[in-house]
Amino acid sequence: MAHCERASKPLLQCLQKTYTKGLPGLQLQSTRAFQTTALAREEVQTETKSQPFYRAPDPELVTNPRLERQLLRQGVAPVGSRRRRAALSDSLNIPFEQLPYQCFQEARKVLLADREEKLRDITSMREKIARLEALTTEQAGGEQVKKSKLRAMELHLDYLKVQADINDPLVKRKFEDGQGDMSKPIYRFLADRKWREYRRKVLVQRITQMKVVPDVVQSCDPTLDTKLYFGRRQIQPGEFVDSKASTEAPKLDVQMFEGGEKLVTIAVVDSDVPNVEKDSFDYKMHYLAVNVPISAVNTKVDLGQLPTDSQVVLPWVPPVAQKGSPYHRLSLLIFEQKESQSLDFAAIKAKEKRRENLHCRTLQDRYHLKPIGAFLFRTQWDDSMYEVMKSIGYPDAEMELRRKRAERLPYKRRNPANMR
Amino acid sequence: MFQSRGVLAPFRALERAIAPSTLRVASYSTSILSSQRPILSAITANSTTASSSTTLPRTNTTRLLSPSTPSLLTFLTQQQVRHASHASQGTANRHSRDPAGKRLGAKRSAGEYVVPGCIIFKQRGTKWWPGENCGMGRDHTIYSEQSGYVRYYLDPERHPKRKYIGVVFEKDGKLPTPRNAVTRRKLGRVAVRFDPADLPNRQPQEQPQSADLVAEITEEGTTVGSVPAAAVDEGLQFRPGYMYREANWSIGRIAERAGVTADVHSRKNRWLAWRRRQARRDRTAQMKSLKRQKKSGRKAKN
Repeated sequence: MAHCERASKPLLQCLQKTYTKGLPGLQLQSTRAFQTTALAREEVQTETKSQPFYRAPDPELVTNPRLERQLLRQGVAPVGSRRRRAALSDSLNIPFEQLPYQCFQEARKVLLADREEKLRDITSMREKIARLEALTTEQAGGEQVKKSKLRAMELHLDYLKVQADINDPLVKRKFEDGQGDMSKPIYRFLADRKWREYRRKVLVQRITQMKVVPDVVQSCDPTLDTKLYFGRRQIQPGEFVDSKASTEAPKLDVQMFEGGEKLVTIAVVDSDVPNVEKDSFDYKMHYLAVNVPISAVNTKVDLGQLPTDSQVVLPWVPPVAQKGSPYHRLSLLIFEQKESQSLDFAAIKAKEKRRENLHCRTLQDRYHLKPIGAFLFRTQWDDSMYEVMKSIGYPDAEMELRRKRAERLPYKRRNPANMR
Repeated sequence: MFQSRGVLAPFRALERAIAPSTLRVASYSTSILSSQRPILSAITANSTTASSSTTLPRTNTTRLLSPSTPSLLTFLTQQQVRHASHASQGTANRHSRDPAGKRLGAKRSAGEYVVPGCIIFKQRGTKWWPGENCGMGRDHTIYSEQSGYVRYYLDPERHPKRKYIGVVFEKDGKLPTPRNAVTRRKLGRVAVRFDPADLPNRQPQEQPQSADLVAEITEEGTTVGSVPAAAVDEGLQFRPGYMYREANWSIGRIAERAGVTADVHSRKNRWLAWRRRQARRDRTAQMKSLKRQKKSGRKAKN
């Protein structure tokens, strides 16, 4: 018996007893009253004759780790926690809203009443906005006043939309199962809150501690949840990436938490290219793409697959680190284009040809970009680096960086003549 | 002041001598007094109660005390013992026990040129914090990590109260740098050509095999010599120890030639570790039981 099944057993036993023994009169009724479809057990039984469970495991009910892995390999993620799936697999298939607990139903009534109220507020707020928009600027009291009023009202409307659904247990459950519809404000709100609880904190810490923020961009307040994959492997912010893995362009999963679509510019910069002559570091742009559309539902961006004739300005170059050089930070930055206007691709392509010392700050100034997402990974010399350098024709593959011996201070007598 | 322990010992001796008779006390004490003037009037005050023959003047204590004082020792302890509670309070102006100075403080002042590892400030605790291009040692010593010029500064954006010591590269450089400015760094390395053949994962080139020891039997006897490198792989050789066999080094490489690779040890694989441990235990138990059988067999014979 799986661990979770053992854990949920007492609860299930209790439930089953309530149904079968505790309420004998209700038993027949309950099965009829709450059942819109056939019993889960009956369904399973009918299925088992044709195909056993382990042949076609249900992602809603699977509890065995081996079967879960099997499902994952097929590309189907099990729904919710294992404990919950175990509970579901053994319980009567009563819809959540119809659970026969009096207190629960009373509480639901309160929540529903609250939701009705919020919906009324939303309609009234929409009417208000429409009325204000219908007014001319003179009637509204000037351009600025109208604009700020409208902005405040829209913000309040968004707030009301979230508040209408935030107490709904079904919404909460759907979100926790990862089945939330990101086109709806409530799921975007919940996802944003979850991201800010941990993942964003880690990201911000990494980009500040590793000095991406003053070195690459002046400031960055990430509002996009960015995930980076090399092949199928997800990279954590700041992780060292094997040189062989990073020969291909990474894939991105950019989750936006606002409605609508945005056009963004994506840049990958190496800010630690050693320059021996200058005794300092240079920059190198490893990738640049403009006019990339992203939205809350359209999150996948494969940097290697973007159209080269309309988006990719500088295609991917594998990051390399010379032997003996300190680690290279490769920062990926997602810039919001001003008012989501598309940039002139041909002009940019003609202008930005040099990768070396192309700074993000320059781009920001030229094209009015604002950083809304950031990511960071690192590269250092590893076993496969030499081959990667050879394959891309890196000129200094055979050069190794050695520490320069610092010259000593001139010898100073401990007790000079004036002290004697 | 009186140091009680050191002085009491001679008194005890004195008392022992005095004890038999008061008359003798008088004579003794006078004789002692005449010889040891510095052993002071306290003794005379007591011991010369009866005799007035001493030349010393009578003190106040003598007058206060009755002539029938029971014992010299009891009297002395009452008067002159300095208890621990008093001693621990210490004395005024005690400088003799002050520790030596620890030579803390600034070793390099602001604007001085320093090289990596140069100690800038020694301190107890963090009176100063390491800023740009500086590090802090185990005992909070601030040292430089780059060659440059020392700066002592405050950085309220970083921390409202801390004082920092930093090193700048230019003589007139300023600290703190603005929050959003690019950090100034030095590479501090030189480019040297290296041989890619030395890299660990490169395919090893065919290296000439080294010679090996073999034995040879001639008329004089067996002589041990070395096989020429080319002939090493030519089958079995007659080796020291009078046998034809492979060289030790080539025995050691059998697994490599056969392509046998050991599994990479994973510390997390506790299941494998448990099985190995269990196998070892079983083996040990078996050996033990065998030993026991042998012993018991011997005993049975005896």
